[in-house]
Amino acid sequence: MALRTADSRPAKSRLKPEDQELARKLEEQAALEADLAERELRSANLRAELRAFERRYLHFVGSRYAELDEWKAQLAEKIAREQPGSERAQQAAREARARAGDTKSAAGEKAAKEPRAFQSSPEMKRLYREVAKRIHPDLTSDRDDRAKRQQLMAAANQAYEQGDEARLTKILTEYEFSPEAVKGEGPGAELVRVIRRVSQARGRLAEIEAETQELVRSDLYQLKSRVDEAEKSGRDVLKEMIAKVEEQIELAKQRLENAEPPAS
Amino acid sequence: MPTREQSPGKHIVPAPSQALAVRSAAIVARGLRDLARDSNWLVKKVFSGRSSHLAISPAGQVCALSSLVRQDTERIALYDIELGVPSLALGVPGETGQCPPGMPSAFAWSPTARYLAAAWGAWQPELHVFDLHGKAFLGAFGEFSNFPSRLAWSDTGKYFAAAAAGGREGRLRLWQAKSESPGAAPFAGDPAGELGVPECCEWPDWQELHSLEAEAAADSADGSALSGFGRSAFSPDERTLSSVVEIEGEWADDSIAFLSVPALRRQQVFHAQGHITDLAWTFDSRRLVYCSAGQANVLAAETMESAPLPFGAELCACHPHLPLCLCFSSWLKNSAKGRLFLVDLNRLTVFDEYAAEGVVDLRWSLDGSKAYAVTAEGLAYIYEPPLL
Repeated sequence: MALRTADSRPAKSRLKPEDQELARKLEEQAALEADLAERELRSANLRAELRAFERRYLHFVGSRYAELDEWKAQLAEKIAREQPGSERAQQAAREARARAGDTKSAAGEKAAKEPRAFQSSPEMKRLYREVAKRIHPDLTSDRDDRAKRQQLMAAANQAYEQGDEARLTKILTEYEFSPEAVKGEGPGAELVRVIRRVSQARGRLAEIEAETQELVRSDLYQLKSRVDEAEKSGRDVLKEMIAKVEEQIELAKQRLENAEPPAS
Repeated sequence: MPTREQSPGKHIVPAPSQALAVRSAAIVARGLRDLARDSNWLVKKVFSGRSSHLAISPAGQVCALSSLVRQDTERIALYDIELGVPSLALGVPGETGQCPPGMPSAFAWSPTARYLAAAWGAWQPELHVFDLHGKAFLGAFGEFSNFPSRLAWSDTGKYFAAAAAGGREGRLRLWQAKSESPGAAPFAGDPAGELGVPECCEWPDWQELHSLEAEAAADSADGSALSGFGRSAFSPDERTLSSVVEIEGEWADDSIAFLSVPALRRQQVFHAQGHITDLAWTFDSRRLVYCSAGQANVLAAETMESAPLPFGAELCACHPHLPLCLCFSSWLKNSAKGRLFLVDLNRLTVFDEYAAEGVVDLRWSLDGSKAYAVTAEGLAYIYEPPLL
């Protein structure tokens, strides 16, 4: 093993202690910023994928559930009309009508255009990482700047989910030229700022982890995983669900047309 | 240099949550649930051990005897069928810590699942009432010398019946609810109606029908051929209480007494073939479905005309507002396999069959959108059809 002489030491060791500390902290900050940007990107991807899946699910399946519940409500109302003396039948009709309203409201209006699955280009990913590094709210110690960054980050998240590259570039450019981007002076002040940014970045990393866990535990994620998993073996689960609900809709229609009280 | 005022530790701005707000949680959960099943039935393990006596509530809970970790000790516990978790353990003042297994028990839920009436061999010989909303023991009423074989609540909760076997001592008692006040037991004091086995023996058609059995019995004079009252059910219009009058002997035929509410005066008596294992009124109070000797039958309340249904069943539960009946049969087409199934009582067709063994209780939910069946081993079958 080669011995290292005093002269061969890195230039950093010749710096003043506070400068050495600042350099170390800046390195740590840079590494954390890169990590944070990467994890923000992954988190944004996950959210965007889930939102896109939710839109698709509501468009294709949710709208059918809303239609089914509407038929079920009509069916229950018909039974209630046939049994005017039965409080249970009246109650069942009221509940079915309320449920139909809830499902319709949750499913939302069926979009005229078929929702697409979320896809992000490499350029979008690069831009998002850059935005996360430069304007992440947890990378500033200034209160006003933080508030502004939060707004910009929310706008960046939205632009990313919508695949709006131009908007993402604009957000980044606008912030880069804003007065808030100007750094403070002196190694002491800089060191304090950096220490706080490092601490905030670590806090945010923990938050991202918790948010990701929450997303992964959600029903939406579970459903999406089932759909994705089946897709790998060539099954279109959403299509199967649509077929099942449509079958139930047809059954409900038939029952409604039938003069006799429904069997099931 | 950042000033103290600028310190993020002092002036942290809360970051907006990045968690996804799912506006469609209910539809997503519904899809996930539908995806997980290939029929209208879901199967869940609700409790471990064995409880031959249990009662399902219309809100999807089951009351059962539960074995404690300490051996040879039991307690009464409530379990949530959907979640498969225990929700409450029931106790009464003065209850001994050690409750040996095998004690008799009987439970009945009120129609809204707010109250539970329970009798247990480890408690005083009375009917104990619990308020499950207030999680409180409300008190006891109806002291008995013969343990009740069956407890029944009427559809609006206005009446409560306790049937007991015990040969000549067998009694059927009916209480009328007091005006409901918070924290008070719905029933108390003397019953509004009472009927004993000896009174049944005095009914003319009864004497005629059961003379042979009575003669065969060693002590026929005191009517001991009757083992007492069994399954009982109020008609949904609360005008009639139908109660099985059980006859001793493996091949004996039980009867169903139709009694006025609340006085328990004889309206009609129907003599069935074989032992009756369950009975349930249809929602319109016009028909009674009963299971005798493994066969399902339907009896018109007005004419007392009985017709066998084209399937076997030992347990039955009628839908609260549709002509549907949930049934359980422990055998299927001469095989030893059991099944749960739905019956359209208008078309007499069977649908949504599902293999099941050892079911001891059936129940529809309050709104009729679901039905539950639970086995003595704590396995629950949840029927959740898309169109109910």
